[in-house]
Amino acid sequence: MTIMIDLKNVSYRYPVSDDFVLKNISFSIEKGKFSAIVGNNGSGKTTLCNTIRGFVPHFYKGDLDGEVIIDQTKMADYQLGQLGEKVGYVFQNPFIQVSGVKDNVFEEVAYGLENLGVPVEEIKIRVEEVLKLVKIEHLRDKNPFELSGGQRQRVALASIIVMDPEILVIDEPTSQLDPIGTEQIFDIIRLMKERGKTIILVEHKMDLIAEYADDLLVMHEGELVMQGPVREVFADPEFEKYQIQYPHVTEIALQLQKLGTALSFIPIRDEELAKALNRTGVAIHD
Amino acid sequence: MKQNFLLQLHPLTKFYFSLFILVAVLIVPGYIFSFAVFPILVLIAILAGVTKEFLSIVLKALLSVLVIVFIMQMFFYPGDEVLWKAGIFSITQEGLDYGLLLTSRILAIGAVFILFFRMTEVRDFVKSLEDKGLPPMGAYVVLSTLQIIPEMRRQANTIMEAQKTRGVETEGSLFVRAKAFIPTLTPLILSSIASTEERAITLESRAFSAPVKKTSLHQLTKNSADRILPIVYVVILVGLLVWRFFL
Ligand SMILES: Nc1ncnc2c1ncn2[C@@H]1O[C@H](COP(=O)(O)OP(=O)(O)O)[C@@H](O)[C@H]1O
Ligand SMILES: [Mg+2]
Repeated sequence: MTIMIDLKNVSYRYPVSDDFVLKNISFSIEKGKFSAIVGNNGSGKTTLCNTIRGFVPHFYKGDLDGEVIIDQTKMADYQLGQLGEKVGYVFQNPFIQVSGVKDNVFEEVAYGLENLGVPVEEIKIRVEEVLKLVKIEHLRDKNPFELSGGQRQRVALASIIVMDPEILVIDEPTSQLDPIGTEQIFDIIRLMKERGKTIILVEHKMDLIAEYADDLLVMHEGELVMQGPVREVFADPEFEKYQIQYPHVTEIALQLQKLGTALSFIPIRDEELAKALNRTGVAIHD
Repeated sequence: MKQNFLLQLHPLTKFYFSLFILVAVLIVPGYIFSFAVFPILVLIAILAGVTKEFLSIVLKALLSVLVIVFIMQMFFYPGDEVLWKAGIFSITQEGLDYGLLLTSRILAIGAVFILFFRMTEVRDFVKSLEDKGLPPMGAYVVLSTLQIIPEMRRQANTIMEAQKTRGVETEGSLFVRAKAFIPTLTPLILSSIASTEERAITLESRAFSAPVKKTSLHQLTKNSADRILPIVYVVILVGLLVWRFFL
């Protein structure tokens, strides 16, 4: 398997901050994997995303130690401009992700492709396809400044995936969305995974992470404290220490376990509960 | 609206026309020619269907300047041929002539540029300059400023509304409104400074500095008029120069 993202002992401190925001982080992510980053506010998730995208150190100065290697090439050897096509990054704040020079959503989504020098005919086809995929066709003629938070999150996502980057870094894309909107975003991410993209997602909705993600990275006060397949991390008793939410079903199962109920394994998806309780037959006939 | 032949001209054709008028007005002596330019501009505005906006901006932006310049020159331009005198004030023929010359030129030049911006979308104009080699960053700055002004106005309104609900007087005389408006400036300016950094990252995430030649969905076309008109301008200007200096 090819390693797409490889961090070795990465520490980083913003120019103005006293303490390191990332502390000695090492991990590697294989091509085509969907990894979720979880952790409480201020634990450094966004900073980690900035590092993978190269905004640290190309844009945010400060002290960076260790090595960041993207697709076999050291970050320091990339120019900022070259990374646009390689790593797509959807920001946490949807309100800043508007180019500010386009007056409708169609052109807004097309903007990255124009910058990449894609021929006009191809741009039109690709934008049409992405608008449909992200379900924002009805917004195509709207001014990007006049959209709601949730609509902007979709436009921001569309604007990045239209560029077809190999790596997608997505920072809390569903914070402004309702449950249906959130499901739709996860559907799109799943589709991206099927297309072979390597995906890094910061998200707080553990049920969805349990359902879709392959691996989990747990951040705590700037340190990467746990990493591994989603199921193993949630099942690890250490996880509880960091005061991060569990998937609902895991939470319930762990409660039952404390009360003395025997579990054959720790369930992380709703449909696994019955099996974990050895009641498969009952539940399926429902 | 876009069907209009004049509006459809390439932005540079219209821009060259403005430059053409500018130079012509400066070449030709006397105020009669310069004053005669204005009705021609009005005629163009009528044909382009922008008469109302054109005239209202000319009135708002130029009229007071013209009146002030005219009065200043009339009274204070040095001259011997006194036409009228009261105390220390006197009007001379030279002052009158110079006042008319200056105002006629300001009117013609000011009006032709106002007309240009009435007939041309800034977006198109910037695109045409980009095609001529304006760096993308320059084009970005102009366009984003244009987009962000209404956005800032919206924000200012929101803040003003918030002030109002807190009981701050926001309507009434200029003074009252200014007093309500000035405190909104600080958050506005702070937020726009903060957003320049974010904007730079946003642009970067859209591959703004990708090392390739950009393409554009927005293409400007040139028709035969766009090829002929600039030549016509040059020929007329050369004619005017010859007439002015050699005949
Ligand atoms: N641009 C910045 N300059 C200085 N400090 C920052 C900046 N962005 C974030 N921080 C600090 O870095 C820490 C981690 O922030 P962040 O990466 O945004 O965490 P998370 O995304 O997990 O909430 C916080 O203490 C935050 O205050
Ligand atoms: Mg964050």
